[in-house]
Amino acid sequence: MNFLSEYTYYIGAFSLIIIGLYIILVKKNLMKVIIGFSIFDTGIYLFLIAVGYLREGTAPVFSKPGLDAGKMVDPVPQALVLTAIVIGVAVLALAVILAIKIYAHYGTLNLRKIKEQRW
Amino acid sequence: MRKLISIILLGMVATGLFMSISQIPFGEPGERIGDHFINQGVNETGATNIVAAVVVSYRGFDTLGEVSVLFTAAMGLGAVIGLVRRKKTHTPIEPASLIVYTGCRFLFPVILLVGTYIVIHGHLTPGGGFQGGAVIASAFLLMYLGCRGKRIRENLSRGLESLGGLLFILLGVTGLVIGRDFLFSFLPEGEAGNLISAGIIPLIYMAVGLKVGSELTGIIDHLIEDTDELPE
Amino acid sequence: MVNPVLFIVVPLGLAFAIPLLKYISKKIIRFVPALAFLFNLIFALRLIPVVMDHQVHVQIGGFIPPLGINLVAGPVGMLFVVLIALVGFLVSIYAFHPIKEKDEDRYHILYMLQLTGATGVVLTGDIFNLFVFFEILCLASYSLVAYLGNRAGIESAVKYLIQGSLGSGLILIGIGLLYGQFGTLNMADIAGRIHSVQSISVYVPLVLFITGFGVEAALFPLNAWLPDAHSSAPSTISAVLSGIAIEVGLYAVLRVVFTLFGITHMMGLFLLLGVLTLLIGELCAFSQDNIKRMLAFSSIGQIGLLVFAFSLASTLGIAGGFFQLISHTLGKALLFLAAGYMIAHTGSMEIASFQGMGKRMPFTSLAFTIGAFSMVGLPPFMGFPGKFMILKAALHDGQMLTLILLVFILIATVIEGAYFFRVVQVLYFAGEDLPDRERAPVAFSRFVPMFLFTGLIIVLGIYPSLITDLLDASALELLDRPDFIKSIIP
Repeated sequence: MNFLSEYTYYIGAFSLIIIGLYIILVKKNLMKVIIGFSIFDTGIYLFLIAVGYLREGTAPVFSKPGLDAGKMVDPVPQALVLTAIVIGVAVLALAVILAIKIYAHYGTLNLRKIKEQRW
Repeated sequence: MRKLISIILLGMVATGLFMSISQIPFGEPGERIGDHFINQGVNETGATNIVAAVVVSYRGFDTLGEVSVLFTAAMGLGAVIGLVRRKKTHTPIEPASLIVYTGCRFLFPVILLVGTYIVIHGHLTPGGGFQGGAVIASAFLLMYLGCRGKRIRENLSRGLESLGGLLFILLGVTGLVIGRDFLFSFLPEGEAGNLISAGIIPLIYMAVGLKVGSELTGIIDHLIEDTDELPE
Repeated sequence: MVNPVLFIVVPLGLAFAIPLLKYISKKIIRFVPALAFLFNLIFALRLIPVVMDHQVHVQIGGFIPPLGINLVAGPVGMLFVVLIALVGFLVSIYAFHPIKEKDEDRYHILYMLQLTGATGVVLTGDIFNLFVFFEILCLASYSLVAYLGNRAGIESAVKYLIQGSLGSGLILIGIGLLYGQFGTLNMADIAGRIHSVQSISVYVPLVLFITGFGVEAALFPLNAWLPDAHSSAPSTISAVLSGIAIEVGLYAVLRVVFTLFGITHMMGLFLLLGVLTLLIGELCAFSQDNIKRMLAFSSIGQIGLLVFAFSLASTLGIAGGFFQLISHTLGKALLFLAAGYMIAHTGSMEIASFQGMGKRMPFTSLAFTIGAFSMVGLPPFMGFPGKFMILKAALHDGQMLTLILLVFILIATVIEGAYFFRVVQVLYFAGEDLPDRERAPVAFSRFVPMFLFTGLIIVLGIYPSLITDLLDASALELLDRPDFIKSIIP
């Protein structure tokens, strides 16, 4: 139980990562795989944010005088997540457009049926 | 079979991840570079939003890369769609209802204004170029929903996109020209908390906001165009 | 001396400027990539003597390394920068003729972004920055694979994108784990805090990194995307993907394994992995009828050989690996360009359709033959000293495992020889009875890059000592981890 309460955020983040990976590996529909990627990415962002968290910490913004610097959460993971989200959006946009094109070419989004290319 | 293998594989991944976090205590302060940013960030960059200071000043090169990633995606999108573009749709588009139409026209300038505000105040309050750019793009998305059939001028959005990117690079290179490092903040830090402060951070954020706003709008535009032409 | 950051910024800036340049003249766009990479090539070559003496460190934004992002232009980095600029320049000359009627500007932008991403990966000294540039490289590659917009291209791009972004996600988790433990993102700084890989919390990020970068580096079993992607992309892009993209992925693996984590044990595993990749690649290549797929599988095989060479973890082995890497880059780029030109002429990718090419396209056939001979490792071409150096390093290593694996490598080389000679035979000796058709028209821009690649392969094959100093310095940079750390974090 101690472990659970200590690491709640990590557990949540990793659960999302695992769920996302499961969808990516198992699902046949390309759209579902893309959704899986979205969940997987979200898990990673949560994990990164959790790494920088400080108990009872505040946002690292000195918006008014008198804020305690020692009580602020680590800004670096937040910056990393900002970058990672933008990259995730870019990949997602490209994936969606490719899915549209796949549908236009094959009339299906089932990945098991789309295998003209063989080893 | 596939499910079984996946579950075994994922079990291994999960075990590995959970075992590896034992060294990362949750919510405890540690010895990190983040501490330096919190303690010295305001002095060194003049920005009160430390995340903005990290994103634009300390790790500005990442931001340049990030902008390029989005640019790559926008260009890739255009290239993939490329072949069958700009066919006029035969079925006339059903117009949105009057309430949606009026609402969108009313909200459009307000959202643009909020987006611009978020971009310009990036170094003072939570927000910045990416967030503001996304808000600006959402205004155009709303316009596409409400005022159907209206399109942005593709040339204009691509021009602004380039301009934003070039501005970023130009600001970076200026640091080299005056004999310092790339992306060096060559403007005075000013008084922290003022709108005009924090060196080149607001300028870079404006370039980023311009670029992200026009890029995301372009992406939305492409996606709408392409879904118009799917086979029935 | 030019600031190394310009190797990234100049192509990037020109890529950003292309949409604006389009308003001035549509004709000049196709010359922009060549201009950018010519700039990189000239100044990178001029920087080489400097980095041979000492590493060049560049800060970004005026913050000292663990705080800000830094660039490390050491022998390894500059070797790759020169290679990327060289291939980028020559292949962009090839692309003076438009690949596709529409969207020519997007092709050039993506092409420049792809190579800029590669340049960023090899120069940066920060692990997250490396990830960002890696993503530029990957995203541009996905888009370019789908550029032709046909069924094969789209399907390959989807596969590539799924596997590639899965790998990227794993890398990001690894970065998070490392930051959580060590509180820094600078590679030298992290390396300075990792004293051993015994603890599981360091071991897991290592595995995540190797898996993530291994997708792009096409390590077995993460290379299912490669033959599809490389064969359905336009030929110029195949040349870059085979010649640059997977090598940059391999660079990332090397950087992580040697510099970041400083692994010295477990090398036997990598040796096995390398030979396995080599054998599978060559065997699959042998059974192909499609020339581009054959070349793609041959790339997998070559990557296996490179992994084997680098896993020897000796100066000799790593220097040999780098030599073979350059040889593969130049050779495979040449092969793809030559094959692409022949495909454009015959309209078919089947090897059998190239009958009688020796007469109709004598120069292209000759270039292809030289590339093939170099791949196999025949003197006096560049593949020979490369394979010879790896052989020597393996014998010098002298362990039982290495010697056994060496036998398999020789077998793989024989297979490689068999399928390349089959193509050469079709080019020159098959279809004697075909009516003599006219020679193909000569396109200047297509011949210049093939001619230069051929020239480089022969010159470096005869005088390998031209670059061995640089290669030895590179090997030293990878192996001397404490020195690397100390030079950045004093």
